[in-house]
Amino acid sequence: MRAIGGGGCNRVLLSILFAVSFSVLSAAPVFSDLVISKLDRRVDLTSQNVRSFTALKVENTGVDSVSEILLPFPDHQAKNLAFFIATIVEEKGKSKTYSNSLPINVVNPEGMPPSLIWYSVSLPKELGKGERLSLEIRAVFTHTLRPFPEKITQADIQLVVFQDSAYYLSPYTVKAQSLTVKLPEPKVESYTKLENTKLSGSEIKYGPYENLSPFSYTPIVVHFVSNGPFAVAKELVREIEISHWGNVQITEHYSIIHAGAQSVGEFSRLDYQARPHLRGASAVSHLTAKLPPRAHSVYYRDEIGNISTSNLWSDSTKTLLEIEPRYPMFGGWKTSFTIGYGLPLHDFLFQSEGRRFLNISFGSPINELVIDNLTVKVVLPEGSKDITVSIPFPVKQWQELKFSHLDMVGRPVVVLEKTNVAPEHNQYFQVHYRFSNLSLFQEPLMLISGFFFFFIACIIYMHADLTISKTSASYVAKLQWDEVQTAIQQFQSIMNRCLAIHDKLEASLRDLSRTGDAQACKAARKAADSSLKELSRELKPLLAFLQSSPQAAQILHKVDELVVKEKELQEKLMLKHTTVVDAFEKKSGGRDTESRVATIQQKITALRQEVDDLLEVIDEI
Amino acid sequence: MAQSVKPISSPVPEPWYPTLAVLMLAVGLIVTASFFIYEATSSKKNRSLAKELTTGAVASVFLGFGSLFLLLASGVYV
Repeated sequence: MRAIGGGGCNRVLLSILFAVSFSVLSAAPVFSDLVISKLDRRVDLTSQNVRSFTALKVENTGVDSVSEILLPFPDHQAKNLAFFIATIVEEKGKSKTYSNSLPINVVNPEGMPPSLIWYSVSLPKELGKGERLSLEIRAVFTHTLRPFPEKITQADIQLVVFQDSAYYLSPYTVKAQSLTVKLPEPKVESYTKLENTKLSGSEIKYGPYENLSPFSYTPIVVHFVSNGPFAVAKELVREIEISHWGNVQITEHYSIIHAGAQSVGEFSRLDYQARPHLRGASAVSHLTAKLPPRAHSVYYRDEIGNISTSNLWSDSTKTLLEIEPRYPMFGGWKTSFTIGYGLPLHDFLFQSEGRRFLNISFGSPINELVIDNLTVKVVLPEGSKDITVSIPFPVKQWQELKFSHLDMVGRPVVVLEKTNVAPEHNQYFQVHYRFSNLSLFQEPLMLISGFFFFFIACIIYMHADLTISKTSASYVAKLQWDEVQTAIQQFQSIMNRCLAIHDKLEASLRDLSRTGDAQACKAARKAADSSLKELSRELKPLLAFLQSSPQAAQILHKVDELVVKEKELQEKLMLKHTTVVDAFEKKSGGRDTESRVATIQQKITALRQEVDDLLEVIDEI
Repeated sequence: MAQSVKPISSPVPEPWYPTLAVLMLAVGLIVTASFFIYEATSSKKNRSLAKELTTGAVASVFLGFGSLFLLLASGVYV
């Protein structure tokens, strides 16, 4: 106790002040005729958060029925109160059933000192005369454990001080009560000894105390070893981005400080590496984040880049990410980093009654982290309407717009802000919105139209005539050459069509030998004759143009040759066709006919080869 | 209400994204190539605007979806 010195003195003074003010209070009128018949309080100090769990049995001894129970806290505690719920327990035999958490309001009863903050728990139904009720209260306080000494070196262990009252502060008479304080390690520097105080292992037990009047208050101080991580996120921004293409992307920007005893003196990395448990017991060496199952694409980086000191394990129920900061964090040291991961959409996004809702946890996945300022941004896809949030505790909320990949009007963002967040706030919350499936195709449509505009631009460029001087010789020559080219391409297409008709005729001959249908063969011949005639009519002006054009001179002889060869080929083919059909009709298919057809066929093959070669030559020009 | 709640997943199964990206981009690039071959080889008078536009449209549909799936497969969830 001696070591506590000045700070301790202050606290004792404060406690006396409290005691005085409460003794005044005890003369004040009694709030109601409620009596707490039994009260068990457990305070868990194993982490940096102080978790108090109180089970109390309330009895109404008065005449009037009561609808609310008042729970006061000293203001120095109330300002660190991060999480507070009260539930009614109904015991039936050995099983316990818990009600939903009851509504809690801050109230201001008159004539009370301002150093008390009053919470009022509204009961679902009034407590009549002589009725009993079991209540369980859970409260989490952050920033309550005070390091003492406030400055330590690398080799020192961290000691912290916890202060509370041995008696439960209540406006009601408490008939029987006890308090159990659970410490992280069985190492206690000192603790206030009252009557009925017992230290066993890492637990200190105060009580039972009986028949205490309202506002009884006896300060206790516990000074103990706590080397657990005192990691506090001064600022955490979580961004949850939904993509209906199958992903929920979460990005978390942390700026973390070690809020335990300040580190003084020099830091020796060598000592730390050699004996981390002795020369760095108070340091935060790593943090563990429990991510949802099936998390993928996990990264851990800061402004410099990727931080490679991390490990990832996964099983069917969770994904564990263990991250090590770039340096072990001693008291007062800070670090900032970003972790990000993707989650499968179907685990978190649901549809109900025409609306969609995201169901995801609010707080940080990192274990035992206190967050001073938490901002959760839910980025909904473009085109989401009618957005509502349902969250089990009060937060500040507003909406923003965010521009991301392939956005036109921006994505609606729901921003939720909360201060003093304990791990207990890691509860699920819902964001409901309306979204049409058609909006899903907005992104591909944008990409498609982008590519299409590119093609349009190419078409316009190819069609536009960008020549400045329209009268220059080279331009005129180019125009003429274009015309020649056009004519040659048309000529080629006509030739190809002729050859296609030839192929058709050959096919009709083959059909004839297979089916014996001479009429069909003749009809094919007729059709071929008329189309060939038409093609030769089309060919005439083209040939005339090519002959008149000086630019076509070099190619003209090839064209003429091709025309002649094609005519020849056509004639031979007709001859073959006639011969075969005649022979078929007269049924004279002897050796004579066969040899004749064979000689014609030889010529046809040779001519066809020449025609193909010529076409190729022209094509290359 | 509880029974009408059903999870929402992507319209296209996620494991298909890389395959779809490769296939659609391949088809898209082939059609693009044929578009440019047509532009370069056919002479100004013989070129038909309808053919150019249809080739361009088909190519852009394939390239558009292909690049979307490429983005999704590489982790850029748009």
